[in-house]
Amino acid sequence: MRRPLRTVCYSLVAMALFLLGCEQQPIQSLPQRTWSLSWSDEFDGGAGSSPDTSKWTFDIGTGVNGWGNSELEYYTNRPSNVQLSGDGHLVITARRESYAGSGFTSARLKTQGLFSQKYGRFEAKIKTPSGPGIWPAFWLLGDNIREVSWPQCGEIDIMEQRGQQPALTHGSVHGPGYSGANAVTKPYALMQGRFDAEFHVYAIEWGADYIDFYVDNYLYQRIQPGDLSGNWVFNQPFFIILNVAVGGNYVGYPTTATPFPQSMIVDYVRVYTQS
Amino acid sequence: MKTLLSNLCPGSICLSLVLLLAGCGDRMVDGLSAPGYPKRGQVFIDDFESDLVYAAFGGSDVKAFQVDYTTTYNASKASMRYEVPDANSPQGAYAGGAYFSKTGRDLSGFNALTFYIKATQSATIDVIGFGNDFGASSFQVAMNALPVNTNWKKVIIPIPDPAKLSGEKGLFYYSTGPINEKGYTFWVDEVQFEHVPDLGMCVGVIYNGEDRKVPTTEKGASIRIEGLQAIAGLPNGTTQVIGASPSYFMFESSDSSVATVSRQGIVQVLDSGNATITARLGSTAARGSLELSAKGTALLPTSAAPAPTLDRGNVISLYSNAYTNVPVDTWNTRWQYSTTESAFIKVDNDDVIRYFNLNFVGVEFSSSPINATPMTHFHIDVWTPDPTPSPKNIKIMLVDFGANSVYGGGDDVSHEITVSAPTLQSNKWVSLDIPLASFTGLTTRAHLAQLVLSGTVSNLFVDNVYLYKTQTGPSAPAPTPTFPPGDVISIFSDAYQNVSGTNFSPNWGQSTVVTQPSISGNATLLYTGLNYQGIQLGASQNVSSYGFLHLDYYSANASALQVFVISPGPVESAYSLPVPTGSGWKSVDIPLSAFSPVALTNVIQLKFVGNGNVYLDNILFRK
Repeated sequence: MRRPLRTVCYSLVAMALFLLGCEQQPIQSLPQRTWSLSWSDEFDGGAGSSPDTSKWTFDIGTGVNGWGNSELEYYTNRPSNVQLSGDGHLVITARRESYAGSGFTSARLKTQGLFSQKYGRFEAKIKTPSGPGIWPAFWLLGDNIREVSWPQCGEIDIMEQRGQQPALTHGSVHGPGYSGANAVTKPYALMQGRFDAEFHVYAIEWGADYIDFYVDNYLYQRIQPGDLSGNWVFNQPFFIILNVAVGGNYVGYPTTATPFPQSMIVDYVRVYTQS
Repeated sequence: MKTLLSNLCPGSICLSLVLLLAGCGDRMVDGLSAPGYPKRGQVFIDDFESDLVYAAFGGSDVKAFQVDYTTTYNASKASMRYEVPDANSPQGAYAGGAYFSKTGRDLSGFNALTFYIKATQSATIDVIGFGNDFGASSFQVAMNALPVNTNWKKVIIPIPDPAKLSGEKGLFYYSTGPINEKGYTFWVDEVQFEHVPDLGMCVGVIYNGEDRKVPTTEKGASIRIEGLQAIAGLPNGTTQVIGASPSYFMFESSDSSVATVSRQGIVQVLDSGNATITARLGSTAARGSLELSAKGTALLPTSAAPAPTLDRGNVISLYSNAYTNVPVDTWNTRWQYSTTESAFIKVDNDDVIRYFNLNFVGVEFSSSPINATPMTHFHIDVWTPDPTPSPKNIKIMLVDFGANSVYGGGDDVSHEITVSAPTLQSNKWVSLDIPLASFTGLTTRAHLAQLVLSGTVSNLFVDNVYLYKTQTGPSAPAPTPTFPPGDVISIFSDAYQNVSGTNFSPNWGQSTVVTQPSISGNATLLYTGLNYQGIQLGASQNVSSYGFLHLDYYSANASALQVFVISPGPVESAYSLPVPTGSGWKSVDIPLSAFSPVALTNVIQLKFVGNGNVYLDNILFRK
């Protein structure tokens, strides 16, 4: 979630696209991996209730310099910013409202101190919000951030989007020597439709020497140690973060035309280990 | 966005692809070959599409639209140019028209109308859209108040439900007026229906997204659903609200024994009870609803209001089936403390506005203020089932927002007229024609912005609300002169002692008909069918120590008018007066030296020569 200001492309796995008929649906030959569920939240709970505190904790406030990115929102854990829908969804809502000196509110959930894992498959089914200056994300940070700080801890952005480009999503990694503007990142675009129109499954499959990025089980990026201009720091447990930022260096700032409130709706987060 | 894989990896190692292209020919369906309409999206790229016809709207400048070969988008061959006229342009008051396909198009494979637009200045296009076919226009879409500037920009107007447009004729229309009374020019290019891949789905809206409640209505009443819109997410993450016609929606009643809804969005109350009206756009539920509670039977007019007969060129209509109406923001502003509920109903197939629980109701048209300066009368038809013995009344107030065209600012003026028995009657259409001169507090009417109805009659049906001008004469008396009486020899004026014994219709062989009609109690001299006309003064006048001949005159149709001063001989000299006078009286002060060589010591007659109908007042010599 630290800003990549420049797009850097790296080689991908060789894949075969078969354009069949007129639907032009690509079919990939994907590596066969077998997964077993190690952690999940299906967000089953009463409407208006808060997320399971045994699984999630919150970042509150504005961080340092808007969480390092000049973000505008104040994160709270109020139900108006984060609650369960009652029909199996987590809803994170960014609002335009004056609160504790900020012009916007939103929420940021994390599993830090409650759950982390090294390697495996991390996936979430999400309907993202949109609008200029809206920055939804599903991402991971290295568990050792308190000891070694960022970016030495490593960061894996499974999904982050700029709300003014609702048909684009981005997968990125940050680490020592390749953080912020120099992150390794790649966008993926929908040929038809947009990410705010329906749920999509965002995932990574992560092993000792690769991180594969997927949207709806379509592999669009593989990152390997040789792709990095610094050390591979992805051999330790990472924890999960879900948030909707408003404004900031990565996304730009909201305008009067940005629709508010804007909600990110998460159907589930599931983590697997490879068996 | 569709070139992602190739564009995003310049100069780096990109994935290797094996593309297997299977046959992508037209799909053949055995035995099914319904002809259908052409699936063409192009409207105007560099020229008219072959099926395209243009027609200007009534009252608009018919030459506002031209094909332009100079100012085009992206150096293409041609664009469409629109010259919005100045206010009060004799060629037409606004620019507006529609492009329709003679044959019809199948637009169901597209999701938006797109085009590029720029203008000579920053401006707001009142309305631009599609679905206007000069017929039923069932699937009309309106983008209101589109901001434009001097740079080309792409506009995307989403199609609320493309599946509805399998045989659409209305491909593009526009209508807009001057900005601050001044015209300007805008260009539109590359007009086409297309499939924008990252355009969001449209969500329907009724009642502007509100859950509207009608606490009490009656069996037999009909209510038109208002505030029909569609909202779509644009590719830049913002949302676009457009007006959509009822046919795009599917309406549903929670209890069809209480109320039903037609495809045109008219709710018919069938029986007492409660019902909630909702709508769907395509496969998704629309925001907003109408909750109604019905009882009893409504007292409704049994017949439509008398159809207006005035020539539409003399009318500015706010609400009438007989005329094209000017934009009205709302017929119920729902101001604080207003209890008034309103509904658009049909009586005898005529559109009528129904107000109930009326204490006062604001009608606002401040987005497009009306210049009623040339108009002479306000007309409204009213019907009430309530008893109307005096002092029961209705009150009609007109509000002008003044030169700043906005509420407040110290230049707002208004006046209220009260109507009661015997004019006001029960169970009968009452046609009110109120001279605007009677609205004495309405000292200007160049920026009319509100009509306020109030009074002690709680049920009121309203139709044919318009302003009009009569061709018969000035709407107000000539301005009263303020010269000191000692400085004046008056021939014809209510303000002074006139020279006695003057003959205003001496027989000099003329064909002019002379009358003296009263305008708001003020005597006025009227020459009908003027060829020439004399005035024989009651006595010879020595005006050699006076400076000017003053007179007020008005003529809507004269093309020539001269005034003569005459001394014995006869010695006469003419002075030409500009005609026609336009909307009001003209006051002139003619230096008496202009009448040389007439003997100013011995003036015996005046004479007017010209044509048409001429009103005169305050004819006098002054120092």
